[in-house]
Amino acid sequence: MSELEKYKLSFKDSLSLKDEDVNEKLEYNGVPEWDSIGHMTLMSKLEEEFNISLETDDIVDFSSFKKGIEILKKYKVNI
Amino acid sequence: MTIDQKKLKLFSSIGMRASFGLNCLDFVKDHSDMMILTSDVSTSAGLDRFRKQFPENFVDVGISEQNLIGVAAGMASEDYKVITTTFAPFQTLRCCEQIKVNLGYMKSKVLLVGLASGLVLGNLGFTHCSIEEIGVLRSIPNLKIIVPADAYELRKTLEYYLNHENQPMYMRLTGGSNIKQIYSENYDFKPGKANILKEGSDICFFSCGTIIGNVIEAANIIEQEHNISVKIVNMHTIKPIDREEIIKNKNFKLHVCVEEHNVIGGLASAISEVKCEESIFVKQINLGVNDQYSKSGSYEFMLDYYNLSAKRIADKVVKEIK
Amino acid sequence: MVVNKLKEFNIKDTQEFSYQMRKKILEMSYNAGSASAHIGGALSCTDIISVIFSKFLKYKKENLLWHERDRFILSKGHACLAYYAALNQIGVLNDQDLSSFEKDNSNLAGHPVKNLEKGIEFSTGSLGMGISIAVGLCIAFKKKKNENKVFVVVGDGECNEGSNWEALMSASHFNLDNLVIIIDKNNLQQTGTCEEILTTENLSEKFKSFNCFSSEIDGHAHAQIFKAISQNLNSPKPNLIVANTVKGKGIELFENKNEWHHSVLSKKVYDEALNSLNKNYDN
Repeated sequence: MSELEKYKLSFKDSLSLKDEDVNEKLEYNGVPEWDSIGHMTLMSKLEEEFNISLETDDIVDFSSFKKGIEILKKYKVNI
Repeated sequence: MTIDQKKLKLFSSIGMRASFGLNCLDFVKDHSDMMILTSDVSTSAGLDRFRKQFPENFVDVGISEQNLIGVAAGMASEDYKVITTTFAPFQTLRCCEQIKVNLGYMKSKVLLVGLASGLVLGNLGFTHCSIEEIGVLRSIPNLKIIVPADAYELRKTLEYYLNHENQPMYMRLTGGSNIKQIYSENYDFKPGKANILKEGSDICFFSCGTIIGNVIEAANIIEQEHNISVKIVNMHTIKPIDREEIIKNKNFKLHVCVEEHNVIGGLASAISEVKCEESIFVKQINLGVNDQYSKSGSYEFMLDYYNLSAKRIADKVVKEIK
Repeated sequence: MVVNKLKEFNIKDTQEFSYQMRKKILEMSYNAGSASAHIGGALSCTDIISVIFSKFLKYKKENLLWHERDRFILSKGHACLAYYAALNQIGVLNDQDLSSFEKDNSNLAGHPVKNLEKGIEFSTGSLGMGISIAVGLCIAFKKKKNENKVFVVVGDGECNEGSNWEALMSASHFNLDNLVIIIDKNNLQQTGTCEEILTTENLSEKFKSFNCFSSEIDGHAHAQIFKAISQNLNSPKPNLIVANTVKGKGIELFENKNEWHHSVLSKKVYDEALNSLNKNYDN
């Protein structure tokens, strides 16, 4: 599975979204499922999936699908 | 909500605050008289979903904690099952007198939930850490104090409050995300009755809250590397404290209290009081915040500084007993 | 039987009520002996409380827990002598209860202690907490869609406490038009005048800027009190009434004298005070 596929699957599983909802336009609070609880679930899933430990600032800054890709570069995850 | 291992794993990964929000969302379906009051912290308490789906059961009074407690007492007098929540320092010390008069003195049925207590917000400085509140609240009559060790114990405490309690309570939530899961689906939680996590014979640990995760790790180190037998007691209910359990452990060589709180006034003090009254002369070492405000830092930094990391706990104990 | 007094205003009723209250306040103060009594602040709000209890408060004497009853909160809890005297006048507390004021193991302490069987709704005395409780009640009443009202009496010195202002912001924010707050503005607090300690001038303007409805009245003119409470606000806001009063009102020797904030009544003073009260009433 490519990194992008793993990334998308993390969103799909933790936020209970359909394939078509997981795209570049997706952002925090943009769908009801991505609220504060959804966010914590997503962060945990990403940490598990990519074997990383996200810093608090990055958890707070992780405001969209696109932004997340940028943030994960810092952890040497290239999507 | 079916509580299975998958759910418990989710709770542990999202941490106490988000678990609190999820469990409230579950319980309100059976308790339409549940009323959550906050001081401008819905997302921080995992309550934004609750706020949107059950607006009639949610009141935000803004950043006014003294007002929060009065409003809570007023609503509780109209038989709502009131739960208030904000960050622990503001939930407790900020409105302490209101807690005394409106909750303790009038015995109003209100559950206060202190978020992110202890040292988890260490990088924001001590204005946002709470290491004093148990010491203060313990001296208010009629107020129960429970410190859950994991998210399942949190759920059990909520369930107990909604179904059985008729006086005020404080529930202290510690830890960040990815907390250790201590309990599984068949946990029989009894408020006021300590829970034995592990039997042992040389040293007895008394602890509460998510720091128990570090105590368990420390116990492994102590047993495996030093061949010392360790008992671990989860004293989740600090008030009323389980006196019987303390008395049962009077034959240990050493008692070790571990808490994310000042060593003055919290669990360690509560246990010492009982031991003095019962003439139990077992040496006790108290690991916690040693009555000083450190510089700020990450949660890991703070725990290490105050000898609350697993390694430091193990080192301190071994040094003492050898 | 529902006691719902909102009928035509009759000054004879309310004046008789407040006269009887003042008599009981004097008696209780005297009986308290060396325990002392907050007599000045009780007398300044006697007229306000007598109009509320005799003309507005909805309750059932045979069922003090009746869910549709109005609530009264004495936020300035030290004026409890007036509260107990009013409860006595409506037959909830008897004379024996009153004689236990500030005695050992009594239900009637120097500040109200919650006791629903004795008609005491909440424990007050630590200033600045009553309005918050009222806000909680009013929100609850609105959620339950019942028409209960809450009446709160607050002191002017008490307005020093910031907690009042948090509560007022809330009261206005939540459109609590079932809330009536009366400020007993007697211009004195424990160590001096309000002007000296922390000015409470322009209270009415302050309340208006907090988006509450506010009016100012003579706090001893029963007709004005009645009118201010029963006015139709035409807006969903709390009703704030600034009542200008005299500390110790009704007994000349106490009026405007701060030494009667919290004092012991000797037999001589009690007799003199009672004479003065009776003379005033007869006039």
